[in-house]
Amino acid sequence: MAIGVNTDHKNGTFSIISSATGGEVKLSMQELMLTGTILPVGAVLRVRHVFRSGEDEPVEIIYAFGLPRDAALRRFRIIGDGFSVESELKPVEEAEKIYEKGIESGSLSSLARQYRDGVINLSVGNIRPGETVVVDLELIAGVELRDDGLRFRFPFTLAPTYHSQARSSGIGKGVGELELPPEFDNLVLPQWMKDAEGLHRIGFDLAVVIPQGVTEVGSPSHAIRFRHENDGHHRVVLAPEGDIPDRDLVLDVQTRVTGEESVGVTGGLMEDGRGHFALLIPSTLFRAGETRPARSSRLVFVVDRSGSMSGEPMIQARRAIEACLGTMAPGDQFGIVAFDDRIESLSESMLDGSQRSREMARNFLNMVDARGGTELAAGFMAAAKMLGAEGGDVMVLTDGQVSGTDAILATARSAGIRIHCLGIGSSSQDRFLTLLARETGGVSRFVTPRERVDLEAIELYASIGTPVASQIKVEAEGVDFAPAPPPTIFAGNPLVLFAESTGQTETVVHLAWKGADGQRKLDLPVSLSRRGEADAANTVRLLQGAQLITNLEAQGAKVGETRREQDRWQRMLSNLSLKYGLACQVTSLVAVVKRRGDQSAVIPKTMVVPVGMPGQTSFDAYFATFGSSQVDRSALFSMESSLRGYMMTSSPQISKSSDRDRLSRMDAVDDCLSVDAGHFALLREGSLFGLFSRQESDDPEPVDLLVQLAGQIEPDGGMPGGNSDERWIATALTLLAMLSEGHTAQAGVFRLHVARLLGFLRTATPPDAASPRRLFLEMVEAGTPPPFKDGLEKITVRGSAVLKEVQALERHWKIVEKSLVTRK
Amino acid sequence: MSREPENGERELSLSELAERSGTPPRTIRFYIARGLMDGPIKAGRGAIYSEEHLARLAEIKDWQSKGLTLTEVGRRLAGADRARPALGEPIGLFSYQIAPEVTVQVQANVSPWRLRQIQRVLRDAAILLSGEGEESFDDEDDR
Repeated sequence: MAIGVNTDHKNGTFSIISSATGGEVKLSMQELMLTGTILPVGAVLRVRHVFRSGEDEPVEIIYAFGLPRDAALRRFRIIGDGFSVESELKPVEEAEKIYEKGIESGSLSSLARQYRDGVINLSVGNIRPGETVVVDLELIAGVELRDDGLRFRFPFTLAPTYHSQARSSGIGKGVGELELPPEFDNLVLPQWMKDAEGLHRIGFDLAVVIPQGVTEVGSPSHAIRFRHENDGHHRVVLAPEGDIPDRDLVLDVQTRVTGEESVGVTGGLMEDGRGHFALLIPSTLFRAGETRPARSSRLVFVVDRSGSMSGEPMIQARRAIEACLGTMAPGDQFGIVAFDDRIESLSESMLDGSQRSREMARNFLNMVDARGGTELAAGFMAAAKMLGAEGGDVMVLTDGQVSGTDAILATARSAGIRIHCLGIGSSSQDRFLTLLARETGGVSRFVTPRERVDLEAIELYASIGTPVASQIKVEAEGVDFAPAPPPTIFAGNPLVLFAESTGQTETVVHLAWKGADGQRKLDLPVSLSRRGEADAANTVRLLQGAQLITNLEAQGAKVGETRREQDRWQRMLSNLSLKYGLACQVTSLVAVVKRRGDQSAVIPKTMVVPVGMPGQTSFDAYFATFGSSQVDRSALFSMESSLRGYMMTSSPQISKSSDRDRLSRMDAVDDCLSVDAGHFALLREGSLFGLFSRQESDDPEPVDLLVQLAGQIEPDGGMPGGNSDERWIATALTLLAMLSEGHTAQAGVFRLHVARLLGFLRTATPPDAASPRRLFLEMVEAGTPPPFKDGLEKITVRGSAVLKEVQALERHWKIVEKSLVTRK
Repeated sequence: MSREPENGERELSLSELAERSGTPPRTIRFYIARGLMDGPIKAGRGAIYSEEHLARLAEIKDWQSKGLTLTEVGRRLAGADRARPALGEPIGLFSYQIAPEVTVQVQANVSPWRLRQIQRVLRDAAILLSGEGEESFDDEDDR
C-alpha cells in the first residue's frame, strides 16, 4: 500500500493517507523514534512513541516489543498538551492496580510491563479523541562485543515465535494472529502485517561515543548517514525520512585498535564517592606470545529447519556447515542434528572427519529443508546425547524464533554442554540466543540474512576451536566484580568486567587464567577520575544492573524447583530491580496523569498496535491462510514461500529495494513457478536449492568461491585430485587463492583452512631444496607468496568452483612456477 | 462489593470479574473492544458486570484451549449467539484434490507447521499418483 502524508492545517498535525482509498489510515501509534548513545560496553536508549487517537471515543493502546540483549527499562515520561509526568517503579501487582485505578477514574494511565522472554507491553489508556500523547521510554541495553568493535541491535518489530501450544491463524489477507497459552500471563501480542508499508514510521538518531575512536560505522539493515561531531562523538541517522517497522536496526561499530593488548576502561566515581567502571579486555591479550597447540574437536551442528528458516537462511546455514567441515582433521569428530518439531540426525554417534563421513554430511544437508515448528531444546538435547560423557561443543544455527525461552535455558543448563549460537534473522531473538550461549559458556553471534551467514559461521567455528583462556580469576582490593567472568574466553571475543569500588582513584586489577601454555597472570592498573565522570559512572552502573537482571531472569525456570526457591528468586530479582532502579519481570513502570475533565463513565476502546512481519521470515510459516476450504491443485503445489523468500533475499542491496525492482524479481519467480514435472523431480531430490545456487554462481564473488573451495578440503588438509601431483597443485593454488584474498593462518575468516592447506603442503612437498614446489612453500611461509595474477576465478571451472580440470590446473601452476623462477 | 439484586443475578465489579475469571481487566477490555463480549451493564467508576460476562469469559478460555485464536473464537461466538447447535461445533475441513479421482480432507484447525508437513506428504502423493515422479506404482507391481 502506498502512503502519502497529508498536513492537516486545521490541527497542524500530520495524518497518513492511503493512496488506495484516499482515506485516512487509522493508526493508533504514528511514530517510533529511537535516540540515545552507544558506548563501548552498552547503550542508553530513549524510544519516543507517538500515539494519536483517530477514534471518537477514548482509547487504550497496547504496543508490544521485545527487549534487546542485556536490556532493562529504566523509566518513561508521558507527555501531552500541558503535562509531562515521569513513571514510578513498582512491584508488578501494585503497578497493575495503580494503572487499573487510573483507567477506571478516566485518567490518562500508562504501564510498561515485562513478560516472559523479555517481551514488553506498553499500555496507554484513556487517550482522548484527537489527542496526541508521547511516551518517552528510557532503556539500557547491551551490545555484541568483538575484539575490534561492537554490533548494536534494536528491535523495530517483534518476530512471531513458535510455541507448541501457541494458536495462530491468518485472519484476512496478509494479516496474522498469534496467541500464547495461559502461562504467558495474558501478554498481548500484536497482529502481524505481511506488508508493513501502512504501519507507523520508524526513525533513529544515535550518538556513538567510543573513547578509543571509531574507524567505521555500517549497517546491514538500514541506509544510514554517519558523521563526526566536533566533540569526537559520532552520529548515526536513518538516511531516508522514515522507514517501516519490519526488521531490527543493526549497527556495526568498528573501533580503533590502539594496540594488540589495549584494555578499554569506562566509568568513574559517582557523587556518593563510589566507583563504577567496566573493563573491556580483548581476547588477544590472553594469548599474547602463545603458540596454539593443535587440538582435536568434537562438535555437533544443530540446524533449525523450522518453517521460519525457509529461503536464504536455510541455504546459507547449509553452506556454512559444509565450509566448517572443510577444516576437519581426521582426529576431529562431528555430528549434525536437524530439528523442527521432529529431530533428524546424520548419524546416531559422532563421525570422524573422514572424506566418507563428510560426503554423508553433504548428502544429509541436501535433504534438509525448512518446514515445521521450532523445538530447539529437543535439538540440542539430541546433540548432547550424541556427544555423550566425553562432552564437546554444540553450534546451533537458528533464527531463535521461539517462546518459552526460560524453559529452554533451564534445559540447556541441565544438559551440561557448551552451546554456541549463530543467530540468523532480521528480527531480534538476540536476547535469548545471547543467554543460551552465556548460560552454557559458549559464544553467540547474530547476523541478518542479508549478510554472509556462511562466513560468520566459519568465523564462529574458528573461534570455538580456539579457546584462549579458562579458569579466569579477577581480584582487586575494595572492588566487587559482577557478573562473574565466563568460564572460557574464545578468540575474537573480548572479556567484559563490570566493577563497583569503594571509591579509590587508583586500583590494580589482578587477572589470572589458564592459557594453552599453562597458568598466566596479569596486573592491570586502573585510574578513575574524580571530576565530571559521575554520568559515566552511573551509566556503567546501569549497564551492570541490566546485565545482572537479565542473567537472573534467565535463571527463572529451574528444573524441579520448589515454591520456596521460586519465591527466593522473585525476591532476589525484586531487590536487584530496586537497587539499580530498573524494571524487570517482577517490577513495572507506571504513571497516571489526572486531568480536568476526566470521565469515569466511559470504558476506553482497547487497540493493539500491529507490527510488520520481519523481513525474511516467511509469513506462511506462521499463519496459514486459505480463502476457501477448496484448495485447487496448483495452489497445493505452490512453492511460493520458499521461492519468494529466496528471490527476495538474494538482493545484495542494503536499503529496501524499489518496488519496480521487486516486481521484476517476482516475475522471475513466477516464471520458475510454472508448474511442470521437472520442478517436482527437483523438489523430490531435495535439489531445489541446488538449482538456485547454480544460478547464483553464474557470477560468483571471490568469497563465494573461497567458501566452496573450503568445503572441499580433504581430511589430510589437501584438495581432492586424481593423484598426488594433482592434489599438490590444487592445494597450492587454493592456498594462493586464500592468501590473495587476505586470509592467512593467523587472521581472516579462512585462517583455519589456510593452516590446514599449509600443513598438507609441508608434508607433501619433496625436501629437495631446488624444486619449485619447495621454493613455493618457503615463499609462502616467509609471508611473501608469489603473485596470483590470474585471479581466483581462473583456477575454478566456471560457476562450480570444482578443481576438476587437470589441464587447467597444470596450466595455472605453470604460470605460478614461472613467477617463482623470475623472482629467484 | 457484590450485590444481590432482586432477579437473583449477582453483579460484579471489573476487579471481581477479573479475579473470578482469572482474566486481567485489560484483557477484558480488549475482548469487549474486539466484540467478543458485551460492555458492562453500567459503565463508569464502579462499572457493573454480570454472571453472563463470567460465563462468556469461561467460554472464550475454553475455545482458546481448543486452539482457536481470538478471531476464530469471535466467529464461533457470533454463530453461537444465534442458535446453540445441539450437535456440537462443526469442524472445518480443507479439501485437497490430489488426483482427478482422489480428494483428501484435512482438519482445518491444525497448526500451520503441522499443515505444512501434511501438505508435503500430499504433494508427494500427488506426484506419485500423476505418474510424473521417478517411481510409480506400476514399477512396484512389476517386481
